[in-house]
Amino acid sequence: MKQNILLQLHPMTKFFFTLFIFAVVLISPGYIFSFAIFPILILIAMLAGVAKEFLNIVIKALVTVLIFIFIMQMFFYPGENVLWEWGIFEIKQEGIKYGLLLTSRILAIGSAFILFFRMTEVRDFVKSLEDIGLPPMGAYVVLSTLQIIPEMRRQANTIMEAQKTRGVETEGSIFVRAKAFIPTLTPLILSSIAGTEERAITLESRAFSAPVKKTSLHQLSKSNMDRALPIVFALVVIGLIVWRFFL
Amino acid sequence: MTAMIDLKNVSYRYPVSDDSVLKNISFSIEKGKFTAIIGNNGSGKTTLCNTIRGFVPHFYKGELDGEVIIDQTKITDYQLGQLGEKVGYVFQNPFIQVSGVKDNVFEEVAYGLENLGIPVEEIKVRVEEVLKLVKIEYLRDKNPFELSGGQRQRVALASIIVMDPEILVIDEPTSQLDPIGTQQIFEIIRLMKERGKTIVLVEHKMDLIAEYADDLLVMHKGELVMQGPVREVFADPEFEKYQIQYPHVTEIALQLQQSGIPLTFLPIRDEELADALNRTEVAAHD
Repeated sequence: MKQNILLQLHPMTKFFFTLFIFAVVLISPGYIFSFAIFPILILIAMLAGVAKEFLNIVIKALVTVLIFIFIMQMFFYPGENVLWEWGIFEIKQEGIKYGLLLTSRILAIGSAFILFFRMTEVRDFVKSLEDIGLPPMGAYVVLSTLQIIPEMRRQANTIMEAQKTRGVETEGSIFVRAKAFIPTLTPLILSSIAGTEERAITLESRAFSAPVKKTSLHQLSKSNMDRALPIVFALVVIGLIVWRFFL
Repeated sequence: MTAMIDLKNVSYRYPVSDDSVLKNISFSIEKGKFTAIIGNNGSGKTTLCNTIRGFVPHFYKGELDGEVIIDQTKITDYQLGQLGEKVGYVFQNPFIQVSGVKDNVFEEVAYGLENLGIPVEEIKVRVEEVLKLVKIEYLRDKNPFELSGGQRQRVALASIIVMDPEILVIDEPTSQLDPIGTQQIFEIIRLMKERGKTIVLVEHKMDLIAEYADDLLVMHKGELVMQGPVREVFADPEFEKYQIQYPHVTEIALQLQQSGIPLTFLPIRDEELADALNRTEVAAHD
């Protein structure tokens, strides 16, 4: 794997960066500044080598929502300066302005979080949370969920095959597939519930509740950059607050 | 010799069932002994294992009567977490015995040691050693969810023996393995015995039990019906009553006896058959 300075940052640093964007966007006035953050995020994504997936998710997850919000605001935000009118639909200047402000903020904050999860392995993030005091039980819940989802998908396929051999139709029109859903889903859910008991025993046989402090093979290290950047972020945020509210 | 596992008049009933799964069971296993539990399906073998491991009564509720004493201490006086270090339990279903939080076999095997708070350097050394022992080094970077049944069974065994417990309870560790794999597992169990571990094994493969185990416990419908050294139990005519398989060679020997060929003793290992026949021939010639 390629060594990448950005990817190698401590997960907490990346998380602070996300919070930093969050704060900056909320503090700064107007939409131009907030929109300007998005290209910066793209640039960071490119430097980290995750630009493609990043843009992909942003487009899939955010853009439709943004367009919808913008249209809603454009038509229904209360205001006086009507620009265009058709029946009950009126486009107002205030609406456009507010729509732009709202979408710019959602875009900046939403994409900052998407970028965070593109750049950080959840494993690392959970580990860093554990380092600052998340109980191992909580860490287990998060991590096991991640692994169990693909495992459940596999199991769902197995059940589907099994039901097929018993003559349940699983292919064809939407109606047929919907009907096949119940005989597939019921055993999946029931077996998952039954599986939790065995999983608890598995964990117990691995001394999960042993009354000692756990160690971990997986260690995260903090570089100088990781110590410096949060301070920089904090200073900038404080500076912005001072500039915005006190000057 | 001190008793490592000591059960006195133990009966157990699962929470919602009417019948006891274990009925008045008493036995004692000495430190360093390899004991096999045999019996037909549903005879209570796995429940017995759960009892030794402390999942009964710490995890499964229900009614437990009698005393279970592990290493001089009553099981009810242990906390469940403390027993993890003392009694290693490899259970039957290899597909569920995955922690679910590790992406590769190396870390999967290391998981128990992490939970025990062993220093990282030592964990690495111990995991390496166990991977080699169980012959799964080639799996080290694989995802534990993507292994075959046999591979998972080996990983499950490795994950437990790496924790170095004094007592190993192993429930059908070879159900998914081919004959060579099975032989290898038994070799590992033998090695554990040489290291002074007390071993309790549930298995249906009588040939291997005859070869490796010291003592036998025979379960039948929740009762402990026979116990003693392997050879004595197989030789006891009562054994036939419980419809449990004999080692193949013993089966043959019994057939031979029935058809009138005398044997000096009842062989339980393949290589003993010739011996048992030869000696009688020598005796006949004399």
